[in-house]
Amino acid sequence: MSALWATFLRELRAYFVSPLAYVVLFFLLILDGVVFSLITTYLADPRQPAGRPFDYFFGGFPFWIIVLFAVPVITMRLLAEERKSGSIEVLMTAPISEGQVVAGKFLAALAFWIVLWLPTVLYAVILEVYGELDWGTLGAGYLGILLLGAFFLAIGIMASALTRNQIVAAVAAFSLSLLVFFVGFLTGLVDQPGLQELTGYLSVIDHMDELRRGIVDTRRLVYYLTGTFFFLFVAARALEDRKWR
Amino acid sequence: MIEAQELSRRYGTFTAVDRISFSVEEGAIVGILGPNWAGKTTTIRMITGFLPPTGGRVTVAGRDLFVEPRRARRDIGYLPENVALYPEMRVREYLAYRGRLEGLKRAAAKKAVAETIERAMLADVADQIIGTLSKGYRQRVGLAAAILHRPRVLVLDEPTVGLDPKQIVSIRELIRDLGRNATLLLSTHILPEVELLCDRVLVIDRGQIVADGTTRELHERWVGRRGLRVAVRPDGATPEAVAACLGGLPGVAKLQQVQTPYAELAVFRLEVDAGSDPREAVFRCTVQNGWVLYELAEERGSLEDVFVQLTTRDETATSLDGIAIAEPAAAPGEGDAGEPAAESDGEEPS
Repeated sequence: MSALWATFLRELRAYFVSPLAYVVLFFLLILDGVVFSLITTYLADPRQPAGRPFDYFFGGFPFWIIVLFAVPVITMRLLAEERKSGSIEVLMTAPISEGQVVAGKFLAALAFWIVLWLPTVLYAVILEVYGELDWGTLGAGYLGILLLGAFFLAIGIMASALTRNQIVAAVAAFSLSLLVFFVGFLTGLVDQPGLQELTGYLSVIDHMDELRRGIVDTRRLVYYLTGTFFFLFVAARALEDRKWR
Repeated sequence: MIEAQELSRRYGTFTAVDRISFSVEEGAIVGILGPNWAGKTTTIRMITGFLPPTGGRVTVAGRDLFVEPRRARRDIGYLPENVALYPEMRVREYLAYRGRLEGLKRAAAKKAVAETIERAMLADVADQIIGTLSKGYRQRVGLAAAILHRPRVLVLDEPTVGLDPKQIVSIRELIRDLGRNATLLLSTHILPEVELLCDRVLVIDRGQIVADGTTRELHERWVGRRGLRVAVRPDGATPEAVAACLGGLPGVAKLQQVQTPYAELAVFRLEVDAGSDPREAVFRCTVQNGWVLYELAEERGSLEDVFVQLTTRDETATSLDGIAIAEPAAAPGEGDAGEPAAESDGEEPS
């Protein structure tokens, strides 16, 4: 347990001593700010239908861009770098299992993900000051962010475990995330009811849509959690393969 | 302390380590010696539990590394060949992390870090960022991290490679110091290092142990004929006269004049029959003739000679095999005469 915790702390610290974290944080905050002000301006127009800002914020096109682009950048370093530098040799001769290594790194990435979204809570506070806000719905939305983040971060870590090249890891994570993302669009294209149901269930967009509306359905939770565990499991197995040199 | 039985590792069709068996007793300092690509690193990676063997088994302190990996790894401190540290961390921070990784509690880790910094003489750089350190210091940090949890077995893969002479001396001192408290296994391709540090040597070539013994045993076994170096100031006599006198002594098999910048000296290299020692005779011969003996030294066959002897013997054997195999294949198609050569080149590293 102390080994897992040590790995988690080291990784988390590594994020904040590298410029990458601040670059991602910087651009994300700009993007978030612009998008949110656009949304509020739009909703403030009396000609537009009434709506909740966070409903738009957690589901629009910019939101998915952020998720799909930021996650590979966050995860690409995690295991690929250990392989490239050779520090994996030190790590995997210490009394720590592959699963613990992956778990420690995943938790660090997830913690960083939370830090990335933390500033947006300020928007909610602003809304609360100038209007009224349903904190329950908002909570479900943030739960969605957490689950969605975990899911895509797990994909990213898996990609990072499979290569020693960070760029390859990032591109693979991005492509795979995009693939998973687009499965949801297939629902409208296939006509067999069975397939429709399947693609519907696999659609991350639909799951997130429900959560941002405040509906917390166990099916959604199970979907994200099993996906997360599956990709992390593959990452741990990939780490057992040492034939890379 | 370390027990390897029929240990093998194949990568596809390439056999890096071929059924190696050896054991290392507690407290010993053992060197694994071999040219590059001999299988040293692969062997070490299997001993430390990083690389699963494709055949055979290895135990450290009585525990199989692939049956109880977590427990067995605790007994091992390991410095890999390319000391990979995290460049963004500070030395103290990194060592604390490694301590925690080895399962030390927070307070114990802190104490171990302080002690180890002292022991590895890292106090000057303890709060520096690792990325800014010189190669010698980084090597020290790697070593410090390996000994942090006081392992019973210390495994060092090429610990002095890439260091300047001054750094090499200080790392060797540190290693010798560490050898007092642990069983030490050290791989290198630098011979003086083995002679300096180790009680026992395993010579590995092409994935097999070609020699195993104490450095002294290896000398006695493989360097049968020792040589003497004799420098004489003949004082009027010709070097030929000196040669005639020395060459006729009992036990001297061969005599060879050596050119030196000192014209007034006649210098010879004498090959000596096994089991005889003509040094006294050499002394008396010069004294009787009224010459002055400037130098009489035993030319000890170095481990280098042993090593070259061991590995080249092997090489000629394999290249002979290579020719035997290549010839029938080359016979039908005269055109691709270059191929057998390329083939045996390809076999070189195996």
